[in-house]
Amino acid sequence: MSLSQIIIIPIIISIFTYLISKKFKTAGSLINIILSGYILYTITNIYGKWDILSQSLNINIMGNNFNFILNNSPLAWLLGIMTVGSVFLISIFSVSSQKNINNAASFSFLFSILMGSILGVVFAGDLMTLFIFWELMTWSSFFLISSGKKEGAKKASYRYLILSTIGAYLMITSIFIIYSQINTLEFTQVANYLQSIPALNSIILIIMMGIPFLIKTGVFPVHVWVNGAHSNAPKEFSPFLSGMMLKIGTYGLMLLLYLVPLYNILDTSIKFRGLPIFNYILALFGGITIITGTILAIRQEDVKKLVAFSSISQMGYIVMALAITTPLGFTGGLLHLMNHMIFKTTIFLTMAAVIYRTNTTKMSEMGGLIFRMPVTFAAYLTAIIALAGIPPTNGFISKWVIYQALIQKGYIFLSVAAFFGSIGSFMYVFKPLSTVFLGQLKPIHKDIKEVPFLMQIPMYILMALMVLFGVLPGIQMNIINQIARYLNIETVQSTLYTITGAYGAWNSLIIFNVFVGGFLLALIIFVFAKKSELVGLMDTYTSGEYMDDPEAYHYAYKYYRPFDRIFDSFAAKSLTRAYDTFARNITKLGNLLGKTIVTGNGQSYAFYMILLMVILAFAGWMV
Amino acid sequence: MIIITILEFLLIAIFAMALGLLFMGIARKVVARTQKRIGPPFYQPYLDVLKLFGKDAITHGFIFDFGAIMAFGGMIATLFFVPIGSIYLYSMSGTLLLVIYLMAIAYLGMAMATVGSGNPLASVGISRALTQMLGYEMPFIVVLLTLIYSSGSSSIVGIMQAQQGGFMNWNLINVPLGTLVAFIALLGLMGKKPFDAPIAPSEIASGPVVEHGGKYLGLLMLQHAVSIVVKTALFVNLFFGGASNILFFLLKMLLVWLLATLIGSVFPRFKVEEGVLFYWKWPLIGALIQAVIIIF
Repeated sequence: MSLSQIIIIPIIISIFTYLISKKFKTAGSLINIILSGYILYTITNIYGKWDILSQSLNINIMGNNFNFILNNSPLAWLLGIMTVGSVFLISIFSVSSQKNINNAASFSFLFSILMGSILGVVFAGDLMTLFIFWELMTWSSFFLISSGKKEGAKKASYRYLILSTIGAYLMITSIFIIYSQINTLEFTQVANYLQSIPALNSIILIIMMGIPFLIKTGVFPVHVWVNGAHSNAPKEFSPFLSGMMLKIGTYGLMLLLYLVPLYNILDTSIKFRGLPIFNYILALFGGITIITGTILAIRQEDVKKLVAFSSISQMGYIVMALAITTPLGFTGGLLHLMNHMIFKTTIFLTMAAVIYRTNTTKMSEMGGLIFRMPVTFAAYLTAIIALAGIPPTNGFISKWVIYQALIQKGYIFLSVAAFFGSIGSFMYVFKPLSTVFLGQLKPIHKDIKEVPFLMQIPMYILMALMVLFGVLPGIQMNIINQIARYLNIETVQSTLYTITGAYGAWNSLIIFNVFVGGFLLALIIFVFAKKSELVGLMDTYTSGEYMDDPEAYHYAYKYYRPFDRIFDSFAAKSLTRAYDTFARNITKLGNLLGKTIVTGNGQSYAFYMILLMVILAFAGWMV
Repeated sequence: MIIITILEFLLIAIFAMALGLLFMGIARKVVARTQKRIGPPFYQPYLDVLKLFGKDAITHGFIFDFGAIMAFGGMIATLFFVPIGSIYLYSMSGTLLLVIYLMAIAYLGMAMATVGSGNPLASVGISRALTQMLGYEMPFIVVLLTLIYSSGSSSIVGIMQAQQGGFMNWNLINVPLGTLVAFIALLGLMGKKPFDAPIAPSEIASGPVVEHGGKYLGLLMLQHAVSIVVKTALFVNLFFGGASNILFFLLKMLLVWLLATLIGSVFPRFKVEEGVLFYWKWPLIGALIQAVIIIF
C-alpha cells in the first residue's frame, strides 16, 4: 500500500462509517478498529523503507506549479504508528462506551477523518501538503471537541478554532512568501532557503510558521484552549486529544528546530551558555508552561481538567528538551513524547471508564471505587507512577534523560522548573487516586461494576507497554537513534536496557532487579507475620465521634487547600480571562463601528461607493 | 553467585534495619534528656517492633496491605543504591537522581495504604506531606544538581570519590551554603520538628499512621528506620566526604542524626504552607546563589 493510500483510505471509508453507524451504533467503532488495525499492519511493514516510498503529485494552478510530496522518514513513521496505535486502542474502548451515545456515528466519522489527516501531516514532504492536512485535522478535531455533551463544549471549541485559525493564517502567509521566492515548498529546499537569507528575515518566517505548532502543542501563553477542549471533549476523544494531537504540534516544532537547523541561522546571534537565545527563550517558555500547568492542575476539582492541565505541564518538558537541541535533549524530548502518549492515554481512558460508570467528572462526587473497579485502578496506578517519573516505569527514563541534558549545560533555572513539575506531579496525580479510587464509597455507587471487558483491553495493553519500556528502553532508543541519524544529529549511546547520559549511565535491569528484591523481602515479612482481620472502611479511628455517613466522611473537596492558598492570587490572574476581555473589547469596537458605518441609510452607502471610487482614482493617478 | 548476592542483599537490609532502630532509640533518649526526662532505654524500638509483629492487626482491604508492602519494599530498594561506608551492592552510575525518585515509591506506597484506610485524618496528613515535599525538594534538588555539575558525576559513589583527600576537599567546605540548605531540607525530608505538620500528633492524630497497628505499624516502623539510614548516609556521602572505614562512616551518620534530632527537639511546628513558603524563600535563594557561584 502506498503512502497516499494510507492517508486517503481512512478519509474515504469515513463516509461509509457514518452511513452504517447511523443505523447500527457500535458499527462505527468496529469499522474503525478494522481500519486502524489494517493501517497499523501496513505502517509496520513500511518500517525501514525510508525515502524509497516517496510519492509526488504535480498540479498546475493558474500557472503556478505545486508539487505535493509524501515521504516516509523515521520521524514520520514513529508519529504515524503512534497515531494509528492510539486510534486502534481508543476504538476498542469506544465499542462498549459509546453504546448509549447519540452522536456515536459522527464520532466514528470524524475520528476516521482525523486519523487520515494526521497521517497526512506526518507523511507530508512539503509545506503545502502539510498545511492542507493540518487544516483538515484542525476542523475535524474542532467538530469532535464541540460534540461534547457538556455546556462548555461550544465555547471551548470556539476558543480552539480561533487560536488555530490565527495560526493557520500566519502559516499560509509564510508559506506563500517562501513559495514566491523559490517556487518550491519541499522541506530540504525550504530549509536551505531559510539558511541563505538574512537571519532576521528567516527568524520572522520561522516564528510565523512556528506559532501554529506552538498553539497545537499548548505552550504558554497560547495554552488557553487546552484545558477547556480536553475537559469538554467527548470522554473517548480526550485520550487522543491529549495523547496524540498535542504531539503533532511538537512534530512541527521538531521540523523547525532540526530540519531547518536553527543553529546555522542563529550562529551569530546572542547565546546563553552555548545555546542561541531564540532556542533558550523557547526552552524558557517550556519551563513556564511546566510551572503554570502544575500549579493549576493541583487546584482543579474536575478530574478531566486536572489531567488536561497536567498535559500542559508535561508538554512543557517535551518543548524544553527539544529546544535545547543537544543529542541528549533531542533524545529526552522524543522519549518523553512517546511515553507521555502512552501514560496520558491510559489516564484519560481510565477516567473515561470512571465517568462511564459514575456519570460525573467532579472528584468530590466519587470515592472508594477501587474495590468496584480494580482493573481501572491498576491501570491508573501504573500510569501515574509513570507520569510522576518513578522507576521502574517508562516515565522516569525520559525524565532522567531530560535532567541529564539540563545538567550537562548547567541550565539551573530550567532545572528548577523541571523539578517543580516533577514533584508537583506527585501532588496532582495523587489527588484523583485518593479521591476517586480510595477513601469512602458513596452509597449511590454501591452497585457499580468494573467496565466491560472490551474497555479493559486497551488498559491491559497500555500497562504492559509502560512496564516494558520502563525495563527495556532500548526498543525506543532504536527508533530514536534512527531518527537522529536521519536528521544528522549525534546519537546517544544505548543498549537494550542502558542509556548513557552526560554524567553516568542508566541501567534499568539493575533497578528492576533491586525493586523486585525489595518488594519480595517486604512480601515475605508481611506473609510470615500474623494474619490480619479485615474490617470495613467506616470502622476507623474517629476521636470518639460516631460516623455513619460515608459521604461526609470522605476527604476530597479542596484536597490541597494549604498549597492552593499560596497561589490564590496567581490563579486569579487568569490568562484565559484576559484573552476573553480582549475579545469582548474587540466586539465592542466592532459594534461601535457598525453603528456608525452601517447606518441603514441608502445615502451613506452611496457616499461610501463614491468615496471608494475617488480613492481608487487617486491611487491609479499616483501609480 | 546469585546466592551470594541474595545473602549480601539480606545482610545489608538487616544491618540497615538494626542501625535505623538503634538511631531511633538514641533519638528518643536524646529528646528525653533535652526535656529533662530520663527516657526509654536505647533498645526500646527493637522491643516495639518485636511486640508489633506479635500483635493482632486489622486491615482495610488489599490496598492497605499492598501499600504497606510497597512502602517497605521501595525503601529497601533505595537502600541498595546508597553506599554505607565501603559497603554497597550496586555502584551504578547515575544513582543520585534515582535515589530521590526511588524514595518516592515508598512514599507513594505509604500514601496509598493510609488513604486506603478511609480515614480522613490520614488523607489530611498525606495532603500535607505531599505539599511539604514540594517545599523541601526544590532547594534540595538545586543543591544536588550543583553537586552533580561540580563533581562531574551523577552517582553517589562518584561524588564521594570526588571529595577524597582530607577534610578540605569535603563539600562541606567547598559548597558551604549548599550544605546548610541541604541540611535544612534534610529536616523536612525526615519530618523533623519545625516541619512535622504531616504527622502533627496533636492535630490529626499522627496523620498517615492513624489506622496502622500490629504488623502494619511494624512494617512502617522498619521502613522509617531504613529511611533514616538512607537519608543520613546520603547526606554523609554527599557533604561529609563519605568514608572508607565503616566506623568513621557510622560516626558521621550519628553526628548528622543527632544534630537533626537536637534541632527537632527544640522547635515548634510550622503551619504547612508556612513551611513551604519558608523553603521557597531562604533555602531556595541560598541554593540558587550557591548554584550560580559554582556553575558560572
